[in-house]
Amino acid sequence: MTGPRLVSILRQGPYLIASIHTALDDSQMTAFQHDLVDRIGRDRARGVVIDVAALDVLDSFATRTLRTIGEVARLRGAVTVVVGIQPEVAFTMVALGMDTGSLHTALDLEEGLALLDRAVGPRRPVTALRGGAA
Amino acid sequence: MSSSQGPATTTAGFDSPGEDQLLPQLVAHLREHRARLRHEWSERIQQAGLLHAMTPQEMAAETTSVYDNYVEVLETGSVEALQRYARDLSERIIPRGVETHEVVGIVLLLRDVLARSLFEKYQRDFGLLNRVLDAYEPAANRIANTVAVSFVEERERVIRQQQDALRELSTPVLPVRERLLILPIIGVLDSERARQLTEQLLTGIRTHRARVVVVDITGVPEVDESVANHLVQTVDASRLMGASVIITGLSPKIAQTLVTIGVDLSKMDTIGDLQGGLEEAERLLGYTTSRDDGTGGP
Amino acid sequence: MEATGCVGRSAAGASDAVAALIPMVRRIVGARVADVTTAEDLVQETLARVLAASGRVEPGMLEPYAIATARNVVATAWREEDRQRRNRHRVVDLTAPDLPEGGLLAEEERSAVAAALARLSERDREALVAHEVSGRDTRSLATDLGSTAGAVAAQLHRARARLRVEYLLARDRTEPPTDRCRPVLFALSSGDRRRQREVDAGRHLLECDVCAALSQPLLERAPQRDDEVRIPIDGDADVVAARQAARELAGRLGCFSPTDLTLIATAVSEVTRNIVKFAGSGEVVVEVLEQPRRGVQVTARDAGPGIPDVERALQDGYSTYAGLGLGLPGARRLMDEFAIASEVGRGTTVTMTRWCADR
Repeated sequence: MTGPRLVSILRQGPYLIASIHTALDDSQMTAFQHDLVDRIGRDRARGVVIDVAALDVLDSFATRTLRTIGEVARLRGAVTVVVGIQPEVAFTMVALGMDTGSLHTALDLEEGLALLDRAVGPRRPVTALRGGAA
Repeated sequence: MSSSQGPATTTAGFDSPGEDQLLPQLVAHLREHRARLRHEWSERIQQAGLLHAMTPQEMAAETTSVYDNYVEVLETGSVEALQRYARDLSERIIPRGVETHEVVGIVLLLRDVLARSLFEKYQRDFGLLNRVLDAYEPAANRIANTVAVSFVEERERVIRQQQDALRELSTPVLPVRERLLILPIIGVLDSERARQLTEQLLTGIRTHRARVVVVDITGVPEVDESVANHLVQTVDASRLMGASVIITGLSPKIAQTLVTIGVDLSKMDTIGDLQGGLEEAERLLGYTTSRDDGTGGP
Repeated sequence: MEATGCVGRSAAGASDAVAALIPMVRRIVGARVADVTTAEDLVQETLARVLAASGRVEPGMLEPYAIATARNVVATAWREEDRQRRNRHRVVDLTAPDLPEGGLLAEEERSAVAAALARLSERDREALVAHEVSGRDTRSLATDLGSTAGAVAAQLHRARARLRVEYLLARDRTEPPTDRCRPVLFALSSGDRRRQREVDAGRHLLECDVCAALSQPLLERAPQRDDEVRIPIDGDADVVAARQAARELAGRLGCFSPTDLTLIATAVSEVTRNIVKFAGSGEVVVEVLEQPRRGVQVTARDAGPGIPDVERALQDGYSTYAGLGLGLPGARRLMDEFAIASEVGRGTTVTMTRWCADR
């Protein structure tokens, strides 16, 4: 596919920052899931921030995909935080009856990284042990 | 009020000298028999079952004041003092639940008690009685009118004030300190209002970059299934935006209701009172506690 | 010259707007046509058509129009080669046949029109001929017929609608396969939406190939409505297109909050995904309602396998794929009204409405 990138995945220290830049259809969403999970393994990331601030809709498929990413990441020893969910989108997800499971959420990128710092702890590999045990 | 200025002038300005003497005579009569007539009036009020929200002492004090104001209007033809008094009285009795018909009722009773005493006094001179009543009735009706209008106006003012207060309360997302919002919910929650509250809260979370929200439901009289669901949705949606929610003011009765209708209270952070909730919120914001939020999940 | 001047004046703005559509059109065509060269040809053809139409189309409608055009262009490309050439020739140039078979085509054309006229009622035919051929105006016709000018205009409108249908049938030497075909085609040809609903035209077009093919020229000539968007659904990308079109149309009403618009877009996303997952293709129509209140109605329709147990499909957690049961019950929670009609082997229609908030 040509044109502007739909998503980007950047590394920052032990974390990955994945940003979705525009509305994705289901196959693009699934491709994003595979790419990100791949990168988590390759980079041995300990935390992942997924920025969805650009999305005006998070329907059942998108939510489920985010959940799956979070669960797979956890099994690989990484904590996933979804950031930037818009107020209207949050309202709609709840009205839709979406269960976001164990997904962590934060207001924005900055808060998401702070949450990862608190959850992962700069050096102790607590999460990896927990992830391994799960 | 401008339309009711007319009769006042009429009452005050009698043309013939004979008529001039009628009202002063009448006023003197009412002053002379003040104690008896006021007592008679009080009894009629009690018989009619009016003003039951007031104690006998209050009744005595208020009826005396009304009586004196009443006679004063007859004497001076000016309703201004009465108007002020009626407003003042209304302000005091409206919060106690006194209704318009009661106020109008007691004034009409006074009018009739006084009219009856005039009958008795002038019954031997039918012509004079007629002239006295001609002078009395317009003034009496004007007084009744003034009191009723004052009461209704006051009542409307109070209602407007209450509505304004409610409106202010319905935009209640209060930033207490950095990263902390309070949402005090007061009154009945229907779907539409619950939706507005949630939308306001979510927008507030983004605007104030809130990390903790204290939702105080002390002022919610009843929680049924739909209100409970709204609460759960508010908590979930706030969480999606990255804010933790602490619910305060959850009475044991409401907590029981919630459990009965199947709300999972373990998913909600609930604390008895607002003060406790704020302390917990500050604790969360200060990161002083050992919280495992963020590692692992359930 | 006049026409050229007009095009020139608006050309810059229009071509900018059309240029913005290029990535989307590429995606739609690319999803359907594997061959890169063919795909690029079709993209260009689509853009040319959209540019030509851009003056007639409401600014906000350009995107849905481009989507519909792209799909039509692709569908046309798929059709049998010789028939495509024949039809396109007619559409493009009825008056001056210059190809070798031109004379033959003109003859066919005349006989098709004659056959179509013969199938009209005598009353319709006479009115049409008097008006179109003899140039009589509606008022003088009304005087002759003892009617009003408005009634005559309405009769002419209906007669023309019928003529168009009969012409297409005669031209293709087709006889409609079912009793429902003609009423549906008449309703489409006259652009009468109420009648289209009465005869459930949308569903019929999904089920009847003959009418689907015939409906294309009929729909193309119908005036573009700014209170209705029709999004053909054929794949994942259309789910996004449908929900964006719905948000756009609902947003223009001005009575929905950002939250309302998100609720509507999400509900559309859910029901459209069901079409893609279960039926493969279908359509979504978003329209503005004025009665009984202002609102937006979404109709999602497919000719797929149908849902055997609708009640169960509306329960949370029920799903036939990947454990995701939120499509229908979720969408129902987001809208004010929600109805579903499904027949196994025939397809599914979901109709849902969200009303404007009372202000």
